[in-house]
Amino acid sequence: MISSAAISDNDAARFLAQASMGASRALIAEVKSLGYAGWLDAQFAMPSSGTRWDWLVAKGFNALTYKNSEQGFDAAVWRKLIAAPDTLRQRVTLALSEILVVSIDSLTGSGWKAFSAAAYLDLLEASAFGNYRTLLGQVSTSVAMGQYLTFRGNQKANAVTGSHPDENYARELMQLFTIGLVQLNQDGTPKLVNGKQVYTYTQDDVSGLARVMTGWDFDLAGGDKNTPDFVRRPMTQYPSRHETGTASLLGRTLSAGMSGADELSAALDVIFAQPNVAPFISRQLIQHLVTSNPSPDYVSRIAAVFNNDGNNVKGNLRAVIRALLLDPEARQSSAASASFGKLREPMLRFLAWARAYNAASASDAWAIGNTSDPATRLGQSPLRSPSVFNFFRPGYVPPNSALATAGLVAPEFQLSNESSTVGYVNYMQRAVYSGIGDVKADYSTLAPLADNGATLLAEINTVLAAGQLDAETQALVLGALNAMPKGTDNARRNRIAAALTLVMAAPNFVVLK
Amino acid sequence: MNRSMNASRRAFLKRASALSVAGVATPWALNLAAMAEASAATATDYKAIVCVFLYGGNDYANTLVPYDAANYNAYFNLRPKLAYGRDALAPTALLPVTAPVDSSGIARQYALAPELAPLLPFFNAGKMGVVLNVGTLIQPTTKQQYLSNAVPLPPKLFSHNDQQSVWQSSAPEGATSGWGGRMGDLFESGNGNATFTCVNVSGNAVYLSGRSAVQYQVTPNGSVAFAGLQKPLFGSTAASAALQALVTQQRTHLMEQEYTRVAKRAIDANTVLSGALAGGPAINTPFPAGNSLADQLKMVARMISVGSTLGARRQVFFVSLGGFDNHDGLSTVHPGLLATVANAMSSFYAATQELGVADKVTAFTASDFGRTLTVNTDGSDHGWGSMHFVLGGAVQGQRFYGTAPIVANNGPDDVGQGRLLPTTSVDQYAATLGRWLGISDSNLLTLLPNLANYNASARTLGFL
Repeated sequence: MISSAAISDNDAARFLAQASMGASRALIAEVKSLGYAGWLDAQFAMPSSGTRWDWLVAKGFNALTYKNSEQGFDAAVWRKLIAAPDTLRQRVTLALSEILVVSIDSLTGSGWKAFSAAAYLDLLEASAFGNYRTLLGQVSTSVAMGQYLTFRGNQKANAVTGSHPDENYARELMQLFTIGLVQLNQDGTPKLVNGKQVYTYTQDDVSGLARVMTGWDFDLAGGDKNTPDFVRRPMTQYPSRHETGTASLLGRTLSAGMSGADELSAALDVIFAQPNVAPFISRQLIQHLVTSNPSPDYVSRIAAVFNNDGNNVKGNLRAVIRALLLDPEARQSSAASASFGKLREPMLRFLAWARAYNAASASDAWAIGNTSDPATRLGQSPLRSPSVFNFFRPGYVPPNSALATAGLVAPEFQLSNESSTVGYVNYMQRAVYSGIGDVKADYSTLAPLADNGATLLAEINTVLAAGQLDAETQALVLGALNAMPKGTDNARRNRIAAALTLVMAAPNFVVLK
Repeated sequence: MNRSMNASRRAFLKRASALSVAGVATPWALNLAAMAEASAATATDYKAIVCVFLYGGNDYANTLVPYDAANYNAYFNLRPKLAYGRDALAPTALLPVTAPVDSSGIARQYALAPELAPLLPFFNAGKMGVVLNVGTLIQPTTKQQYLSNAVPLPPKLFSHNDQQSVWQSSAPEGATSGWGGRMGDLFESGNGNATFTCVNVSGNAVYLSGRSAVQYQVTPNGSVAFAGLQKPLFGSTAASAALQALVTQQRTHLMEQEYTRVAKRAIDANTVLSGALAGGPAINTPFPAGNSLADQLKMVARMISVGSTLGARRQVFFVSLGGFDNHDGLSTVHPGLLATVANAMSSFYAATQELGVADKVTAFTASDFGRTLTVNTDGSDHGWGSMHFVLGGAVQGQRFYGTAPIVANNGPDDVGQGRLLPTTSVDQYAATLGRWLGISDSNLLTLLPNLANYNASARTLGFL
């Protein structure tokens, strides 16, 4: 166990870059005081910070006039990402939203897209420290997922019209949310039989599970669609549309005559019992929080916790999160490695700045909006993935790169190209100087340091870059600061903005090691 | 343009040296590295291919609709709720030079979906061809072979990300080179500036990555410049200089190095491209507004218009449109997507005519996979073979290529629910495009690893 006394400011900031929405001076002090494990326990115990749903209602977006818009959604989401004190829960929620992917653009067919999307994030957040099997059940009956992967309204086969049950959710539930395409060892590497990978399921399993996923639709609970409440209720079963015969799934037979809800639960149990779930999900959580290329041993250790939290419970996310953040591979110094770590995804770079300098919206409007445009904004925006395959794939390999030659993956680089690389820096240049909308940073910790380039840079290096700016980068930034005017408020504002822009453009910051 | 000549030479040297540095040197990788480039790289004329990728898996049956009475009825009976009315198809019924023949020897008729009407004049003028039941294959495969697992099949069938990758690269997700990029490998040293050999106006796609060729990504409005390098960063030229130095540093950490490599490329390419585009000709052909595919294709046309300024002789472009995964709402969503495709591609062809390069540019469609012919509640599910279009002045158009599939649920040409077992492979489709670009047969066999599984006479389809 690492004693709390040993934690430096830089180490605390690095831990927070993995475990939170971003470090700040206050959080660094907390981590140093409580220790890593103590800080995690405090975060696990922290009450949830209020739902996106309730904020939308409080702002009046549940008025009928907003039924066919998505107004309020981005603001509700950015507000929590930037300001919610339960920062670990926010970080895990964001990671889960990139594994159990839903995108607001496709939440069609009922109006109230903002509420459906908000309810989905609220659902993920409520179970972020809960059990993955429970979460799968909640996701599988959520309106948002029913809309996004199109099983809302899914009907049993019809011999007259020749229709078959919609296979969309059945396939992606297995391929993306639970077991993946090929059998894995507990350490996340593919099992090989005669040198070949082994598929986890067949088209027949997809067809079988599609039969299970019939009969779900909105639960209007006697009301209508003129208020958003029905998009937060779990969907309900319409027995006449549910396939009642037997269904075969992964070598098991689900008996005939079960209710839709019972059959879903039985099917999820069959899937969740597969040994693939632990390495498949554990490895992705490590990739989202710590490093793109965890060692097989690291994956194996976390998958073991996924399989058994110590109390014979499988899928305990709190235990998994705790283990993967406290693992020696996450905590040991990465200074000597040329490959440890991950490209910070663009949203997290922006949020690191916002959290480091307590960005806030004085009007409570949080008008950051959709940041998806790669040429002018972040090329990424919460719950706006282009498909269920997320913004980036866990196995993405940048072509023509030294990473590819080394046999490494770098998922977040799927978003990285000539346009987005420049667009991000330009966006941050604007954000650090002017804010976005009325979301503005508080530079009161930096202003007193701003006339001294070295002091200013040291403070930014620690809080924003976890002390990972190397000597060459520091020399470049410092050289620029020393050539800039100082001594006036305007000069200090420019010096702070220049230092932040340069640090956030630097490869040392963009890659978290 | 010293810099661009150097870039091309660097590309050649990098490929030549790849033999010695390849981490895992499979025989195929070695062959790729050794591909003779003289034959292709000495081209003096201009040609380009443009991949129009329809992300999500396009529904083939409501794109190219069976129209002869027997097949139309079979189509209607398998998807009554989603079928176009036969009357509605009459205006877009295709009148080819030769009727396509199905696998039982019967001549068939097809109609374009009504929303594809903007493409009909190009078909009739002999500028557009239709490729029937094309998809990912390792080798020619019969249904019996499929059922008995008697031949190797493409990996991870029916999975979006993997079949996108197989279409683009011949390998599932994780592949690091695609056939567009591998063609680019052969051409980049013959282009004045290697950077503009493989150009993506969409997001990243493995299609355009070669062994040495690197995809260059632009937005529909062109390249993006660092604001802090256009004018002093917060009033400081020293800060601008630091910005440039920071984002272009050589780094030892592999991810940091990848980041600065992309940023350096962005700066260098923007310098060349923004100047070239500013001096390019006006394109008067109207492109539809609010059409993201048209926006991308207009940028392709603009880049082609300055091809001589950029020193380009062979280029491979990639554009895309998403939204084709119509498990749901097929009848409400899919027609609009097809209209978007048709309007964008017709404007693009017209623009190449305006630029006088219509016979130098070939656009072709591609997609993850086709879909089922039978339907779920109101959509279709993941399939395999599909129907695709090739459009350009050099196309032998008003013709069908390949074999018309039997319209059925679990008939001789589908593996159930109308998921077509392809009778034409992506490799054959790609080889036809590659040969037109001037790639030798032996190089085609190298860059398309499964092409050798086809008889020499069948390796290209004849649409170019």
